[in-house]
Amino acid sequence: MRGLFLLASALLLSTAVVAEWEFTAPVTISEQGSERFFHHLESSGRRNIAVSGDTVAVAWEDDRDDTPRIYLARKGMADTDFSPAMRVSGDGEAFEPTLVALTGERFALAWEEDAQVKMRIVSAHGMGPLIAVAEGESRQPSLHYGDGELRLVLAEQEGRLSRIYYHRFEVVGESGLKRSQRCAVDAVPPEDQQFYPTLARQQGLTVVAWEDRRPGHTVIMGAESVPGQACGFREPVRVSLPPEGAEAAAYGSGHGVARVALSSYGREGVYAAWADKRDYREGYSIFGAPWRVKQGFAANEVVQDAFGGVAKQWHATLAGDGHGRLVAAWSDERDGDSDVLLSWYRDGQWSDDLALPGGSGPGVQQHPSITLDSAGRLHVAWVERDEIGGPTRLRYTVSRWRSSN
Amino acid sequence: MLRSVLLLFSLLLALPILADAPKDYPFLPFDEAMSQAQAEGKPVFVYFGRYGCGYCELTNKEAFSQPEVRERYTQHYVLAYVDAESGKRLRLPSGERITERELGTRYNAFATPVFSYLDSNGTARHRLIGAQTKEALLEADEVARAKLAGGE
Repeated sequence: MRGLFLLASALLLSTAVVAEWEFTAPVTISEQGSERFFHHLESSGRRNIAVSGDTVAVAWEDDRDDTPRIYLARKGMADTDFSPAMRVSGDGEAFEPTLVALTGERFALAWEEDAQVKMRIVSAHGMGPLIAVAEGESRQPSLHYGDGELRLVLAEQEGRLSRIYYHRFEVVGESGLKRSQRCAVDAVPPEDQQFYPTLARQQGLTVVAWEDRRPGHTVIMGAESVPGQACGFREPVRVSLPPEGAEAAAYGSGHGVARVALSSYGREGVYAAWADKRDYREGYSIFGAPWRVKQGFAANEVVQDAFGGVAKQWHATLAGDGHGRLVAAWSDERDGDSDVLLSWYRDGQWSDDLALPGGSGPGVQQHPSITLDSAGRLHVAWVERDEIGGPTRLRYTVSRWRSSN
Repeated sequence: MLRSVLLLFSLLLALPILADAPKDYPFLPFDEAMSQAQAEGKPVFVYFGRYGCGYCELTNKEAFSQPEVRERYTQHYVLAYVDAESGKRLRLPSGERITERELGTRYNAFATPVFSYLDSNGTARHRLIGAQTKEALLEADEVARAKLAGGE
């Protein structure tokens, strides 16, 4: 009987068709190891999966040899399995790798290692040189590649405060990197901590968003580059807004927000999504704000559907493409233990939420990272464990977007 | 005039506007507190706060400022403070390295403040959510210690 159930489940899961999506059966990127072996799929902006040509790659941190290090696994679209994990970081303790696709099945990675952001390119033929991005302490890198150039934002330590910087690199040959520009995103020295930046590009403009504690609590700030300037940004604006009708609180400074993700979509748009605790009774929810060329960031809106209102959401990630597709994913506890949920943006509205087939149900599924490839397929990686705090596996699925857009 | 300005300045400095851990308490990072608790066989009291948290500031001012609360909590527990939005890293007893923010998700710190009473293995035996009075903290201390002693 159990065998029949498993067979039926396997058939159902082999290709799960849900509304606009047709997901493949999940595969394991990296297996569960010992009881003390933990995978982490985390980065500023949650960019841990990318597609270059016919190759999908996933970057993560785990401590298989008792030291947290950065690993990469790749898979051809037609392949069933991912390659064995390739260690990308050096000898230090390494965390929070961000990944971006270059041309020609190549990928650039940046991560924090011994309190410095390191970076290198990985191609089908090997790894390029390892470089330190900043001279002093730095953390939380996020990468973007476009228009033949690699761009990176990160938090650099200046005295007791952390400040967001923007770096530009030329890719030289197959895997070389040449630094070209560096500037602070906010030209005014910070009044308080700035953390967890990420960036997107649209119509030749760079849009950066980050966490900022300048009002005495954490808010999301954003800034766009000045047209024609190699390294200059307009004055930052507040992206996460106070709830409508909010009055000055007798205590504290304001509600909490955390971990912004950004993605461009269509020909004019960029979207920012983050975890937001304005409804403090139910925990964090996923909120967002669209940005448009010449209009900047618009009002805040809820990304999750109404059924998520009484549950906790964490770990927002976004993927968009030039055809106007935009998808959000996050960890969601509305059905008990954590599941990965998706929503997609159409005509200015977020869809009803979809529990990711194979990434929801019994056990704990969380920390998603997503990307859309040039054919409109949605690639999803996430962390799976049987119970909270237990050993982990990394899982992957891909879906075709069945509807025209 | 100068005296008034200095007095105002010193009052402003004294205001706990950032809602960090309450003053005059030996709060430790979570992993250090767990190590100390295991060495001493004591339970851990974890304060999950966040930067700018209003109810944290209220609780600090109204409850943690009371000598009776300070005496009981410093005597009965190893104290840990966690900024539930922070990227600061710590090591769990299992060996896993995570951020303070992720620790908040593990202990269901969906609001701030959340006060968790853990045994020395890190299992939550009792917790309080939201702003607390002196009386609530003193009562919770008794309830938590009864649960911890009974292995509930």
